[in-house]
Amino acid sequence: MKTIAATVVLIVLVTAIAAEQVHAIPSFSRKYKTSCSTCHYAAPMLNAFGKAFKNNGYRYPGGTDPEMTKEEPVSIGSEGYKRVWPDAIWPADIPGTTPIGIWAIGRIEYAAIADVKWSLEIPHELEFLYGGTIGENFSFFGELEIENEGNETEIGFPFALQYDFSPGFHLRVGMANADPTPTHLRLTRNHYNMASFRSRNGWRFRDDHNGVEVWGAANGAGDRGGFTYRLGMVNGQGLTDINPQKDFFGKATYKIGGLGEIGGTEGAESQASDFYLDNSVTIGAFFYKGTASRANVLDEDFTVLGGDVDFWYNRFILNGALMLMNSTIEGTADRSSMVYYAQGNYVIYPWLIGLVRYEWEDRDTDADLVKPVNALIPGVTVMARANVKLVFEFKKFLDEANKKRDTFTLQFNFGI
Amino acid sequence: MRALFVVMTILLTWTWSDGLLAGDIKGKVKAKGVKHSGDAVIFIDKIPGKTFQPPKEHVTMDQKNLVFIPHILPVVVGSTVDYLNSDDVLHNVFTPDKCAEKFNLGTWPKGQVRSFTFTDPGCASVMLCKVHPEMEAFILVMETPYYAVSEKDGSYTVKNVPAGKHTLRIWHEKLKGESVTVEVPEKGEVIVNFEVKK
Repeated sequence: MKTIAATVVLIVLVTAIAAEQVHAIPSFSRKYKTSCSTCHYAAPMLNAFGKAFKNNGYRYPGGTDPEMTKEEPVSIGSEGYKRVWPDAIWPADIPGTTPIGIWAIGRIEYAAIADVKWSLEIPHELEFLYGGTIGENFSFFGELEIENEGNETEIGFPFALQYDFSPGFHLRVGMANADPTPTHLRLTRNHYNMASFRSRNGWRFRDDHNGVEVWGAANGAGDRGGFTYRLGMVNGQGLTDINPQKDFFGKATYKIGGLGEIGGTEGAESQASDFYLDNSVTIGAFFYKGTASRANVLDEDFTVLGGDVDFWYNRFILNGALMLMNSTIEGTADRSSMVYYAQGNYVIYPWLIGLVRYEWEDRDTDADLVKPVNALIPGVTVMARANVKLVFEFKKFLDEANKKRDTFTLQFNFGI
Repeated sequence: MRALFVVMTILLTWTWSDGLLAGDIKGKVKAKGVKHSGDAVIFIDKIPGKTFQPPKEHVTMDQKNLVFIPHILPVVVGSTVDYLNSDDVLHNVFTPDKCAEKFNLGTWPKGQVRSFTFTDPGCASVMLCKVHPEMEAFILVMETPYYAVSEKDGSYTVKNVPAGKHTLRIWHEKLKGESVTVEVPEKGEVIVNFEVKK
């Protein structure tokens, strides 16, 4: 009993990990009785419809969500109560079954310079994912994430509650989308270098950003492509901010061609389509302005500016992003950093995807002594089933200082 | 006398038409190893010396709420099927079956149709959607119009089958059953029950 209690205490004490954005939610598959690949290119990476579903506040496009929902919701207030308001609570409904799914991740990893070169980290992570709608206007998603990090168990529990005025305007509180890397999420085991890049005081895009966000999306001309935007104010570092300043972020994208950002079928005639196809090009621009703090050093004020491009043509995807960071700490020289990556994916078969990514990271563009880090990541993703994924991935560092840090990973995931 | 001859001629013509000397085949299908006994197709595959024209009107297979409707669609050879998209999402109907020319109809907006004409008798082709892998339906191409699809309780009726001896067959997407020889009466019905299993 003491052992159990000690374990619980340990788990509770080790908290606030860098929870990743969660978007592969198996409960949607049950709600609509549809395959994961309706929304996912290769879970958790979203396809065009998955993004449109998300942009509609986790609903089917065009107001068709009630008829598409095959799992009968439970009413928590009848329709007639709308007429009684404000003398009654506004009616709504909740999912008919508990909207929780599981995403499990295990890894077999080879690290060239580690003492233990081969690690069998199974499990690496277990995520309890939930998402859904509450009536016509509220939606929610979140996770309880339990992760192994150097034999210590870390937990994270981000969530977001959202009021969906319309696809063009959502108000979200909780976990915000400050990370500017592609909204369709990554395919690889390795994080995007932009997401992992740290400011001098340790801030990074990958970490939780909790606060308030407004965002929205709309279709372009002829219901094709369209734009998205998001603006937010967040704690930059952790659940409780460690400095009095709030951070601000924003991103805007414009998509030319392809499925409309909020879906629909108008103008969507083609000779062939598939869940992984969406011939289009999307360009985006983003900013982040924040203050990063850590113990016993002065605060760091920093600004990130950047842009990205996402090009989908038949079975091929090419995307890349560039970010420039300027950092100021009183009494020290300002630091400018540049980070970028470019990645190509190719769908060999709908269950077999090849990819290669090139990364570049120059922490201090003005200092010749600080050499950039650059790496090549070739990999293969195998979808054994729509909810079972294997990733074979190699990370080959190309710069002199890191050239022995190569890693090879076999990662397997499943979602239920 | 002349009038009597005319009446007799009309009666004889009518008698030999399919409309009169025809009976119904009724019965129940018992499907083992699946949730219900529906969606079995009971049919007479051939009537020697007779061919049947397909209907002039196109037959519709709908795509609504991510489901093909109906799930099982028998058609007479030469029939054209209109695939309607009733959803506000994109579908892409295709079949991997050679007997239906492995067609891929592509994608089209809500409310519109694309069509395919089934010309290979005996073809049982699966209809799939490239965007929604859970969607599935079957189209069976028949040489005669004498067929029925069983209800969930297994009941079926093949109506107006010409009197005489025929081979009655059964098709199920997952199960198999034995063909039977049936003597259809000139009037009334004959009962034939089937069992289908793996």
